[in-house]
Amino acid sequence: MRNPVRPRGRLFAALALGLALTATAGSCSSPAGPGPGPATGTAAAPGTLRVLASSELADMAPVLEDAREATGVTVRATYAGTLDAVERIASGQAEKEYDAVWLSSNDYLRLRPDTAGRITSETPVMTSPVALGVRPAAVARLGWDPRKVTWSQLHRAVADGELTYGMTDPKRSNSGFSALVSVASGLSGAQSALTDADVRRATPKLRAFFTGQQLTSGSSGWLATAYARRTDVDALVNYESVLLSTPGDLTVIRPADGVVTADYPLTLLTAAPDAAKESARRLTTYLRTPEAQRRITATTLRRPVVAGVDPAPRLDRDLRRELPFPGSRSVADGLLDAYDNTLRRPSRTVYVLDTSGSMAGARLDRLKTALAELTGDFRDREEVTLMPFGTAVKRDATRTYTVDPKDPAKARDALRADAGRLTASGGTAIYSSLTEAYRGLGAAPRSTFTSVVLMTDGENTDGMAGDGFDAFYRALPEAQRHTPVFPILFGDSDRSELDRIADLTGGKVFDATRGSLDGAFEEIRGYQ
Amino acid sequence: MRRILGIVLAVLLLGGVAFVLVTNGPQDKGTAPKTVRGVIGSEKGEFFADPDVVKALAAQGLTVNTETSGSWDMEQLPLKGYDFAFPASKGPADELRAKAPDKAVAAPLRPFYSPLVVVAHSNAARVLAANGLAALGARGTSGILRMDAYLAAVRADRGWQQLKGADKHTELSGTLFITSTDPLASSSGALYLAAAGYVADGGRVADGSQAVGRTAPLLRKLTRVQGAQQTNSDAPFRDFVSGVGNPLVLVYESQVAAQLLAGRPMGDLVVLYPDTTVNSDHTLVPLTEAGKELGRLLSEDPELRRLAVRHGFRPQGAAPEFTEATDPYGAYLNQTLTGVRQAPVPTGTVLRDMARRARDQGDPA
Repeated sequence: MRNPVRPRGRLFAALALGLALTATAGSCSSPAGPGPGPATGTAAAPGTLRVLASSELADMAPVLEDAREATGVTVRATYAGTLDAVERIASGQAEKEYDAVWLSSNDYLRLRPDTAGRITSETPVMTSPVALGVRPAAVARLGWDPRKVTWSQLHRAVADGELTYGMTDPKRSNSGFSALVSVASGLSGAQSALTDADVRRATPKLRAFFTGQQLTSGSSGWLATAYARRTDVDALVNYESVLLSTPGDLTVIRPADGVVTADYPLTLLTAAPDAAKESARRLTTYLRTPEAQRRITATTLRRPVVAGVDPAPRLDRDLRRELPFPGSRSVADGLLDAYDNTLRRPSRTVYVLDTSGSMAGARLDRLKTALAELTGDFRDREEVTLMPFGTAVKRDATRTYTVDPKDPAKARDALRADAGRLTASGGTAIYSSLTEAYRGLGAAPRSTFTSVVLMTDGENTDGMAGDGFDAFYRALPEAQRHTPVFPILFGDSDRSELDRIADLTGGKVFDATRGSLDGAFEEIRGYQ
Repeated sequence: MRRILGIVLAVLLLGGVAFVLVTNGPQDKGTAPKTVRGVIGSEKGEFFADPDVVKALAAQGLTVNTETSGSWDMEQLPLKGYDFAFPASKGPADELRAKAPDKAVAAPLRPFYSPLVVVAHSNAARVLAANGLAALGARGTSGILRMDAYLAAVRADRGWQQLKGADKHTELSGTLFITSTDPLASSSGALYLAAAGYVADGGRVADGSQAVGRTAPLLRKLTRVQGAQQTNSDAPFRDFVSGVGNPLVLVYESQVAAQLLAGRPMGDLVVLYPDTTVNSDHTLVPLTEAGKELGRLLSEDPELRRLAVRHGFRPQGAAPEFTEATDPYGAYLNQTLTGVRQAPVPTGTVLRDMARRARDQGDPA
């Protein structure tokens, strides 16, 4: 039996429905919109292109400013991870808020038949391969000629404990995904596009390779920040352009046996208004001029796509084999699944949860719902602690579970049941509770990713004060100081207090006052 | 008398209306230009964006707004609101015509065409030549790709490492293949299968399921090794120009010719004409009268024909414009297509079947 490759009829109907919904939403939302006019919300405006974009494109600002002067088109970018953006396109959500998407690559997008009718006019603007940026001292120590290093050598160095690195989460970020495809191709010896069999064959080597991953991140921006705090991580995996822009003069290694390259196609959403389509056409025409291409390569260190424009001098001109991106969704998703559940180092996380009196009612219900949602997301081998607190940590309700690959539902069900039993009472002892989370995690073994999530709806009222926590944290052994706290802004919590905790521990604040609590928990997954 | 005068007046009036109808538009500079919207294959994007093309169309009373799509993907778009669709070949044009609300208007027009070629980096081209897969011209910047030898190499899963001379070049490793576009979405990808299928089946054009079955395993191999494929011919060419991607990429001759005619330096690019190839007949399907008028102008207006050449297309019929303009670029372009045979293209239905079976992942049945 043969599967129909594309259910065209149904897709067309779904698309037509999507269009109708958009029109409705647009016509009733603009008059009801909250005051400040077209420059803020997501309403369409003449001469403005609303773009859902990969976060590293923030470096295009000066080029887009030139483009605005030349074409009159203003780009209003909202940043998102590639896979998240693909979901939003497939569900039809993206076309309600944006005119175009500009991701590092449309490779994964194309594996989803449910996105086919929703996009049009893909115009690649520039390219950048995913590479390794290694500290010059590490290159010297390993005795490498950067032009000749292969994936096998990288694997060997990691297995020998000679090389550690940071990489973004392949499920959130295209650079991580591309790196995963490259290393799986390189270590399986696949001669053409990856198959499930290649992935299986390479599993032992891949597992060894990922023991060297000391940093994970949901976005490449935070990865660079986290890397800058660490002296014990030798390398970063990211786009060549990002690596060359990272302080510290990293030596860029494009492995000699092949790379996966991003080509940044500016892509229209089919449902975009005509005026926006015309704006996009003007913009892409401009971005393809030799003048704009020269500016792009000079400013962003990406490679030009127009004949006769040379790449910036810092970009090495040697050709590399391009490793094919998987041609089927089952291979791509199988690879992501293997990464999460068997290849990567498992994570250990403590959720420090404010269940003080002020959480009673709707807030506690939202927390319970968000946690229930989250439990389905825990990976095999992951250790999760729920640590509710009020005036102090509620010890009786604090439990730790590990997801057993043989019976993953067991731990998930137990976590969900525990979350359902949370009750609100007492004051808010943020800092004392954090110290208990650090003690609970103990000396972080190098074989796991450890982190703390702090969810609070108010200011610290009980137990240790902020200064006390500073002193506690600074006195921790270095290995334990690598555990970041990811605070979630919720209810009446104090932004400056949470920022301070994140800065101190190398974490990052997530805002659930503007988005949802589920959304914040989900976003943090990329950092765990 | 009054009656006669009435008839005369009526005739004059009708004539006047007819006169207005005939002259309104093209020659009538006084009226606002008519806006024509259409969806086109990406390879024609730069043609329609060219300010001189915009000007030439405006002189004829038309403003043309376009968006691009893979040729086979066009039929998935809601065609309402478009005046024309302009895919890169006859197959998708036939299907679009079948979907058109007004069949009478939708008679397709083919203003220009372009043969499919393979661009190669010079290292790759020289290795192919040294191993009998290609023959290069004196300057080494163009040549002929031997399809028989190439398909034999694909059947044998030949890797670059097995070709003599490849070991000197880091980038030449892995399975030997030509990058093409998704044959279910884009015209050039489907035409590549048509040419390969024709050669593989001993010079027979596939006429049905049985014929498709004979070449399906090979076509599946040509496709599967590539992994994810792009949905338009512009993207893989841009990767190539950028120095990334596979060293062999299937493109339209027009994409290369346009760069040459714009005076762009071509770096280490070599143009290989497959000894059996397919011409892409860029086919405009009018959906309204305005779309039809655009098709007529593209076919007949001397200025627009000249501008089509600037973008590398070969106008239909005797086209001294193309020969003359590309004369300085003989080192890259095979103007008279010497040594290149045209494979006939199967019908749209058969071609779709070929594409579906080539893309089929994992199911060997």
